[in-house]
Amino acid sequence: MDHLTSPKVQIGVHCLNLRHKGMYVLATPYPEESQFYDAYDSTAYWCVETQQAFGPDGQPARPDCCQGDRDCCKH
Amino acid sequence: MFRQRGGGPAQPPPKPLDPRYKWPEKPTLLGTSVKRLDGPDKVTGRARYTYDINRPGMIYGRIVRSPVPHAKITSIDLSAVQKAPGVKAVLAWKEAGAELFYQGDPVAAVAADTEERARDAARLVRVRYETLPHVATEAQAMAADAPQWSTAQANTRAGTRQETGDLETGFKQAAHIVEQTYSTHVIGHVCLETHGTVCEWEGDKLTAWVSTQGCHQAAQGFAQALGIPQTDVRVITQYMGGGFGSKFAPDAQGIICAKLAKLANAPVKLMLDRREEHLDTGNRPSAFAHIKAGVSADGMLTAFDATSWGTGGAGQGANFPLPYLYQFPNRRRAHTDVYINAGTQRAMRAPGHPQGCFLTEILMDELADRVKMDPVEFRIKNAPKLAPNAMWIEYFQRGAKQFGWDKRHPTGDPTPGPIKTGMGVSAHLWGGGGRGSQSHVDIMSDGSVVVKCGTQDIGTGTRTIVAMVAAESLGLPISAIKPEIGDTQYPFSGGSGGSTTAASVSPAIRVTTMKALDALYAKVAPVLGTDAQNLVAEGGRIHVKGDTSKGLAWKDACKHLGTEPISVDGAWTDGLSSSGTSGVQFSEVTVDIETGIVKVKRILAMQDCGLIVDKLTAESQVYGGVIAALNFALFEDRLLDRVTGQMVNPNMEFYLLAGMSDIPKIEIVLNNMPERGVVGIGEPPTVSTASAIANAVRNATGVTIRSLPLHPHKVLAALEQERAGGT
Amino acid sequence: MKAFAYVNATSEREAVAALKFDGIALPLAGGQDLLARMKDYIDSPDRVVNVKNALDATVTATPDGGLKIGGAMKVVDLAEHAQVAKLYPAVAAAAIEIGTPQIRNQATVGGNINQRPRCWYYRNEEFVCYKKGGSRCFAVNGENQYHAIFGNDGPSHIVHPSSLAVPFLAYGAKFRVLGPNGEREIAAAEYFTMPTLQNVMKENVLADEELLTHVILPAPGNVKSGHYEVRYKASHDWPLVFATIVLALGGTSGNTIRSARVVLGAVAPVPWRSKAAEDALAGKPLNEQTAALAGEAAVKEAKPMSGNAYKIQITRTAVKRAIMNAAGIKTA
Ligand SMILES: Cc1cc2nc3c(=O)[nH]c(=O)nc-3n(C[C@H](O)[C@H](O)[C@H](O)COP(=O)(O)OP(=O)(O)OC[C@H]3O[C@@H](n4cnc5c(N)ncnc54)[C@H](O)[C@@H]3O)c2cc1C
Ligand code: SF4
Repeated sequence: MDHLTSPKVQIGVHCLNLRHKGMYVLATPYPEESQFYDAYDSTAYWCVETQQAFGPDGQPARPDCCQGDRDCCKH
Repeated sequence: MFRQRGGGPAQPPPKPLDPRYKWPEKPTLLGTSVKRLDGPDKVTGRARYTYDINRPGMIYGRIVRSPVPHAKITSIDLSAVQKAPGVKAVLAWKEAGAELFYQGDPVAAVAADTEERARDAARLVRVRYETLPHVATEAQAMAADAPQWSTAQANTRAGTRQETGDLETGFKQAAHIVEQTYSTHVIGHVCLETHGTVCEWEGDKLTAWVSTQGCHQAAQGFAQALGIPQTDVRVITQYMGGGFGSKFAPDAQGIICAKLAKLANAPVKLMLDRREEHLDTGNRPSAFAHIKAGVSADGMLTAFDATSWGTGGAGQGANFPLPYLYQFPNRRRAHTDVYINAGTQRAMRAPGHPQGCFLTEILMDELADRVKMDPVEFRIKNAPKLAPNAMWIEYFQRGAKQFGWDKRHPTGDPTPGPIKTGMGVSAHLWGGGGRGSQSHVDIMSDGSVVVKCGTQDIGTGTRTIVAMVAAESLGLPISAIKPEIGDTQYPFSGGSGGSTTAASVSPAIRVTTMKALDALYAKVAPVLGTDAQNLVAEGGRIHVKGDTSKGLAWKDACKHLGTEPISVDGAWTDGLSSSGTSGVQFSEVTVDIETGIVKVKRILAMQDCGLIVDKLTAESQVYGGVIAALNFALFEDRLLDRVTGQMVNPNMEFYLLAGMSDIPKIEIVLNNMPERGVVGIGEPPTVSTASAIANAVRNATGVTIRSLPLHPHKVLAALEQERAGGT
Repeated sequence: MKAFAYVNATSEREAVAALKFDGIALPLAGGQDLLARMKDYIDSPDRVVNVKNALDATVTATPDGGLKIGGAMKVVDLAEHAQVAKLYPAVAAAAIEIGTPQIRNQATVGGNINQRPRCWYYRNEEFVCYKKGGSRCFAVNGENQYHAIFGNDGPSHIVHPSSLAVPFLAYGAKFRVLGPNGEREIAAAEYFTMPTLQNVMKENVLADEELLTHVILPAPGNVKSGHYEVRYKASHDWPLVFATIVLALGGTSGNTIRSARVVLGAVAPVPWRSKAAEDALAGKPLNEQTAALAGEAAVKEAKPMSGNAYKIQITRTAVKRAIMNAAGIKTA
């Protein structure tokens, strides 16, 4: 699904249930935009399963948490 | 912001645009001011928002929420509520043992036959909590020996560290150095229509009326959270009262609503109240930065060294771009996310930008003063060079002229009396741009036209621009087009966010209507004794190019369709949109130095958004953005009691928002750039207003307030400190 | 909201009788305060007695040249009343600033004087403070930027919410009160009570079964009055600080202040009379310099809390500008 691709949530690394706004809007980055400021991540994440910013285990839904062998993680 | 430097979804190489789809060189509608088609419905109350949806047999849902900022649930007892009058369904959303991280965290829910009974019944749910120590402010969370916001996670998380150039050299080149701490506060989205849903099941199929920024996206949320096929979910959003980034998903309340409806076997309406809206529907994170910056004697930025932090509430990040926009060749920045026991952040109109902009732009004026340069001149010197997505230098120059910047006095209004006047300026950028939208067009043999697209109008005027683009393409008046949006039964489109809607929807409508027109030409050409490529559609007629007499009125042309309507699908294509916008804003304020009260007198907004589709609704976005940012600058403040961690102002009384008489004169200069295609404008105009206002306050009073909001207590404190010989 | 019985009283006596009830009965006037408290579960009366049709809603002249204002009079009507504006300009000035047009169209004089505090701890159910029978004032260590800077001995640190109470007190008004045992008149200055551990759940001397039926304003005499409110937002908001000044003038030029009444609003648990400012004004010529001196005197005894010292400067300004206003000197 094209609209579910995101550089922040990588299939195979992060849980397939992790969501953020960028996955749901159809944006195109401007090639020169990166000249104006450095990388940063202001993103708010949520878990599609709980519909909250926490996963089914009650812990935060964030790329650094939603990967690896977390029990609720879906790959 | 939703992408990183060098990131972004993998883009297919752009296909050359089919010349038939190109935007018309001499449009009749595009770029003109067209009133919202649904304006009369909205002002007369005919427009039905989610709140207005009433289904036969419908009952009302209500959520029980954590009253405290941090606790473990010991037990949930639903027995009393089950027997309460009118109660039809009860559910536990969390289980005993679950940890709650903020006041307002959902715990359980009830549905009853009236809204009032649901509210009363919800109070009968007996939840026992073991309260845990909490942190209510960034400072509390960062203190040594601070209690932990979560039993499992630390209060801070180091974020990105960046270093470019050589700081030491940069500071050596500096003739002046400014070193200060700057900050912005947490505010809410405060959607006029609160979050909520009406859910109705028919067997295993769910219909949900949702106040959402993305109906297709909300449908995915329902399907995955409920474990049902997405094809069994229909989401409808005909009218929507604002989302600002907080409404991309059904959220807990949507899923709770659907579950209650299933349990009660009846449609359920669950709209949040204002208090819940403040506690649990997202917010803009705070931002703090300790910055040391250098400027050379001739006014060039040389170095920037920042330590930044901020909170996105319970477990969510709070990063932002820093430095913003201006070019510091040597820079370093280390960021830390701070977690506190408060509702989690969500994307809010230009995520990160208002914060980064404020922190940088106040510093810019301080640096300009050190080198005794005019703030506009200083910014022009240090802004990125002129480009289609980087028009700042031009806007600074044109805007200064239009605003009467030459009448600005140096820092500190020298005129006697308590009322001081000042001017300020600030700049911003945004991405926008779009892709991926699909649409469908039917042309009937009676000449009627319906355009369907699964986008939604979140108040921006999307319904109107869908009709405008179709009317422009078909050479028809807008009234001849029936735009159908806000329903997952229509072709896929994206969530309305990132300022992408106009840029992803308009090209889809253009392509689809032009395809439909081609099909109509094919039917009509033989009748007119010509080839299809010789035909044009304009002024409600289809005729041979250059010979208006050889043609048919639209209705007559459509008669030749007989019993088969034209029914075509189309999609967004490259070449009709692009991304990258720039803007500059000027402000003039008065400050009463005996009361600390700031009043904004006027704002000038210079803004581009590529090809302007509807000038009126584009301007409306700027008005709305400026007003929202004025609220950020002066009024809004999500205030948590520092002792209990509970919000003291979860209402519309002490959570201040500007009224009519607090709103200044707002002048807008929209730079139409048709050659760029559609870009989008929802977010950029809300970025730089607050910093322009703060810089104007600084110019008026001669004192610098480095944190928002500009409440009288801060203005008076800064003036006091100045009198006492402070900074 | 808890279900309640509704009584629509049509006379003063009937209303008072209906308030005498085994359970909690509360009078309902414009409802701008009471309904919000009920919806937020701050108050859950068993019986609500509508007094709008029971109380006088008019203004009548008194034999001594003053005015008698009915408790059910709408704030909007008070603001627009020609006689009120002529004799007691500060009352009209205060009335027109209250809330919003919608609020003024509903709110009544009696309801405005008797409205409960607007402290955000009191108004949120979670915080069981002294005013709700609890045993602490959350403002002390919490968010107190809008709380009191005078009369801060506790236990509660609210500011009295009524805009009208301040000019009424400054003009020496009396309140007529009716109860099951008949009527009484109470000077506005005696009506509002400083909090003590015993009375903290109320802001005035009115008994549960009593109603405020009238505000009686004495003939103003040879006075000049001024009113000044400092508001952050232009409407739908509360004043940060405000002041009413009533000056009796005399002397050969007629410009010497013989005596003064200085009453401050939004600074203390009651409308706050500033003796210090009144003393500073007595015997002085009415001019800007005197105004500034009085402003200075007014704040001398202020005892701010952790987050509201800024209100001292605003008080200084409000007093000064109210006096300048009385003197006809232009202010910001
Ligand atoms: C956003 C906002 C801003 C506001 N700004 C201001 C402001 O600047 N200044 C200001 O003064 N107010 C302000 N208000 C408050 C508003 O003016 C009061 O709520 C209103 O005046 C109350 O009058 P009412 O007739 O509606 O009273 P009600 O709500 O009907 O009653 C108020 C209370 O008084 C009792 N009561 C009513 N009538 C009588 C009576 N005759 N005798 C005894 N007890 C009685 C009731 O039982 C109740 O407890 C504001 C309110 C809001 C929401
Ligand atoms: S919380 Fe668990 S299920 Fe949800 S996105 Fe993260 S890892 Fe996946």
